[in-house]
Amino acid sequence: MKILNLIKKYGTLIGFFGIIIFFTINLPSTFLTAKNFINISQQISMLAVVAFTMTVVMVMNDFDLSVGSMASLAGIVAAVLFSMGYPIWIGILAALFVGIIGGLFNGFLVSIIGILPFVATLGTLTMFSGFAFLISGGRTIFGRDIPSEFSSFARSGIEISSLGLKIPFLSILALLILFIVWFILEQTTYGRRLYAIGGNTEASFLAGIKVKQLRLSAFALTGVGAAIAGLMYSSRVASSNPTQGSGLMLEAIAAVFLGMTMSEEGEPRVLYTLLGVLILGVLDNGLTQMNVDSYIREVLVGFIVILAVAFSSITKKRN
Amino acid sequence: MQKLELLNLTKSFSSFKALSNVSIEFLSGETHALMGENGAGKTTLIKVLAGILKPDQMTMKIDNKIQNIYSSIQSKNLGFNFIHQELNIISYLSVAENMFLNHPYPKKYKTIIDWNKIYKLSSNALKELGVTHIDVKKKCAKLSTGDQMLVKIASCLIKTDTNPTLYVFDEPTAALTLQESEKLFKVINNLKKRGAIILYVSHRMNEILQISDKVTVLRDGIKVLTDKTSKLSKEKIIRSMVGKDLSDNFPERTGNINKNIVIDVNNVHTKNIRNINFKIKAGEVLGIAGLSNSGQREIFNMLMGVDSMTKGKISFMDQKYEPIGPSDAWKKLISFVPRERRKEALMLKMSVKSNTTTPHYSKISKFFFLANKKEENLITNNYSKKVQLKYENINQPIYQLSGGNQQKVVFSRALASNPKLLLLDEPTRGVDVGAKLDIYNLIIQLTKNGCGIVLNSSDLSEIMGMCDKILILKDHEQYKILENFKINSQDVLANFYESKNQ
Amino acid sequence: MKSCIKFISFTLLFLSMFVSKAWAEKVTVITPYLAQPGTQMYVEGFKNEASKKGWDLNIIDTKGDVAEVISRIEDAVNQKVDGIVINVDPSQIAAGLEVAAAANIPVVGMDSGADPLLVTNVTSNGYAMAAETSVYVANRIEGKGNVVMFVFDAFPPVQIRGVIADAVFGNFPDINVMDRITPDVQDGGIADSRAKMEALLAANPEAGSIAAVWAAWDQPAIGAMQAIEAAGRSNEGIVIVGIDANPQARDAISQGGNFEASIAQDFVGIGSATANAIGRAMSGEEIKSKVIYVPTVLITSANVGN
Repeated sequence: MKILNLIKKYGTLIGFFGIIIFFTINLPSTFLTAKNFINISQQISMLAVVAFTMTVVMVMNDFDLSVGSMASLAGIVAAVLFSMGYPIWIGILAALFVGIIGGLFNGFLVSIIGILPFVATLGTLTMFSGFAFLISGGRTIFGRDIPSEFSSFARSGIEISSLGLKIPFLSILALLILFIVWFILEQTTYGRRLYAIGGNTEASFLAGIKVKQLRLSAFALTGVGAAIAGLMYSSRVASSNPTQGSGLMLEAIAAVFLGMTMSEEGEPRVLYTLLGVLILGVLDNGLTQMNVDSYIREVLVGFIVILAVAFSSITKKRN
Repeated sequence: MQKLELLNLTKSFSSFKALSNVSIEFLSGETHALMGENGAGKTTLIKVLAGILKPDQMTMKIDNKIQNIYSSIQSKNLGFNFIHQELNIISYLSVAENMFLNHPYPKKYKTIIDWNKIYKLSSNALKELGVTHIDVKKKCAKLSTGDQMLVKIASCLIKTDTNPTLYVFDEPTAALTLQESEKLFKVINNLKKRGAIILYVSHRMNEILQISDKVTVLRDGIKVLTDKTSKLSKEKIIRSMVGKDLSDNFPERTGNINKNIVIDVNNVHTKNIRNINFKIKAGEVLGIAGLSNSGQREIFNMLMGVDSMTKGKISFMDQKYEPIGPSDAWKKLISFVPRERRKEALMLKMSVKSNTTTPHYSKISKFFFLANKKEENLITNNYSKKVQLKYENINQPIYQLSGGNQQKVVFSRALASNPKLLLLDEPTRGVDVGAKLDIYNLIIQLTKNGCGIVLNSSDLSEIMGMCDKILILKDHEQYKILENFKINSQDVLANFYESKNQ
Repeated sequence: MKSCIKFISFTLLFLSMFVSKAWAEKVTVITPYLAQPGTQMYVEGFKNEASKKGWDLNIIDTKGDVAEVISRIEDAVNQKVDGIVINVDPSQIAAGLEVAAAANIPVVGMDSGADPLLVTNVTSNGYAMAAETSVYVANRIEGKGNVVMFVFDAFPPVQIRGVIADAVFGNFPDINVMDRITPDVQDGGIADSRAKMEALLAANPEAGSIAAVWAAWDQPAIGAMQAIEAAGRSNEGIVIVGIDANPQARDAISQGGNFEASIAQDFVGIGSATANAIGRAMSGEEIKSKVIYVPTVLITSANVGN
């Protein structure tokens, strides 16, 4: 009985360790190494940033489907400014600014106008993507247009010479964002209020929470997160492509959902989102190394996400 | 069907008896009014007839033959029909389609829907009620509420296999205009002439006297009166509804009403209410009373700043008060216990702590934004103790608590800011007797500390037992304020039923 | 319980030893564009050659995600493969190429573009292909008239075709490039090109107002042809040319209609040549040229049947 409760509560976590054990056995020399895990941390860093900041709106039971195209747009904005000869910091600031404005626009549609987040952000998804194509003329901006200082960020890190390892800046940045989001959600009154809105919007309003303003600002945070991820992506591929972020949105939502299976009452928690992101990243990494066909890999990942969520909703219902 | 008898109907919810040993006889061609205060058992009786609730004990006879109702389908097959305020009309479908929602569509060649037949059958059904002004091809959205109700009634006549025998009207006129009500009464008369039994539930005394043939009054689940309407007067009905003076099981008020005025509401209008005028002194309890939906909720919306004022002014603690929203109201130390606990007050999946501290985060924080966990725990523990909350720990999710204890959390949240004015909208609704008493004691405790209180309750005895003066609302307008505390509940109730022009 | 876990893990370990094949050279092919027909033909040619050589081959599609190409290169390096083949602009995946270079794993580009970090890049001569089709157009319309161009500058190998065609048309004073269209390629490019062409035809209703359509690859050319046919203007003598000579284009050319010419790249040949190149690199041979060209053929109604 106790074991059953343990599985109910930590099913997803147990599944995660199961996956790790499976890969360790099948890839004995290459999987469970510090270097591989540093690789994974770098590979998932962009997805992680989007998923962490996506958690902020999902805490309020909202969604942001536009994060992927925001990531594309932010990367394009920075790259276009680079190609026009502006310094790096201006490009980065402009991209972040675009993230805030886009996020505020989402928040405006959802909280002030009152459109369902699904519909509103579906609309802005297309809009942002359109802007990205418009500004770039549909081109991938690459080569000399991207300053090498910008792209080298994604290739450098902090050397730990004693171990012969390098902790990539991308991973460190993702960790930093994790800490910030964790701090905002778990340690501030702002986060407390967001959770209250998620718990019961009407009750929160009557209890004196400024629901409209808070939703607006939360969407802005998610927008900035998407923009940061877009910049990270551009730096990693030393280029900006108007469709570069399109894969991020679905995986980010999947990661948050995976994380939600682990919390007591099914609410999103950013540390659990991290675990969701790790599961996705480890599966991609391990299955690639096992030479599993990329399409089968995709089917498997989708199946595992469904399995985790189904398992948790079944066991929680029985409770 | 000539006669429908309910014998020895008893229904209890755990220890609470909603109906005990009620026997009523309904005759065909008769409009039978069912009256009683909220909680008297009217709704329970209707739900038993509808097959939604299973009675503990009941014999039902139709024309002296025993019948059983185990499910809502059976109730329907017996020809019982229920018309509520909420009509379940699908507004984007036509009148005819709405009328056929519960019936199989007639078909041509067994495949295509025979629209002509549908339109014909539905307009025939309306004609049978004497209704000719409704076009059955119109979308229901374009109909007035009254016409929608007529559509719903007529849809009961479409069935061919069973003839409707019983129509239950549950507060049908609550949302209707005067003219619409008149139309409805005509239709009810037509139904009566066709030999149907009408069971009519309403709070509106004048209607009852106008259209009913018999009146039955329930009080606390017991039938206290059945008689021909012609032999009854308004006063007699009210007296039997209220029964003995109920205010004696309320704790005694101690402490004095202070001279300082907490809030002075001067001729305030919002888009929903008009002419609101009252003053509350420190330690004073103002009761709000009136028929349901007469503007009670809107007074709270006005005080919390949910609805903005269009006219008049309020001063609160000797300062001008124009609330821009609930956040402003809480900040100025006005606390609110909303009516619907689950919908408007609580985050059910969240902890006792979160639910207690939500309105007070700006006060319990470090550097304006850092959550102060120590303080949160302290406040939650203190006030949970104060309201005598029964709980395991402050991190327990609130859905695990009983209704009474959930309401205590809402109270402890309201008290946690040491409010100057406490707004209570139906604070004891759905709360067991023990918790009720605790809540009354809390209110008295607060008045001792100089807190002003606005208390709305549909339980008249609660208003009588707890309040220093009573504001009576009628049609979203202040009707009068009863200041003299010696008044008895019959007089108060009579005020509800006096029409303004009388 | 414990012994049970032990048993299961040992069984898995035992089985997994059988799963990994007997020693063979491991080669990983990574592309974001496997859904494209051309890419599939490269891969087919590569596979044929690889199976002859007995390689342990892993083909990875990142579905348009360039950053994931880097991630998968990192994984392949970590897995200690013997060679990596990429099919994406190398300057965008420099981060991954550096990791491979540091591990001394050769990387060959399969129609990807040249880069110092690549051993070599095997491709068709895009400049030559674009020159051949644009000159064909210029000659057919006798050096004058309005030309519509379909381009796609986001993908470097296609972008250079546009540059050459620009230069060729620019060299004829009486040729006017009336529009330079970038179609939306999410559905393959035919539908959107057709829509854009229909709009253009509607805007230029007079016969002869459009002399030719030059497309940087076949799909827009097919879309343009469909638009012209649908508008009932196939007898105006509008010359359409594409590049790649895919089956649909060959079919159109064989009909003898407006679609007159395309250039056949030898995709399968590029695939097998890439396999040869990575094979040579893995065996330690130094490949001097940074680009290896595989010949192309102009396809017209004269030779489409061959």
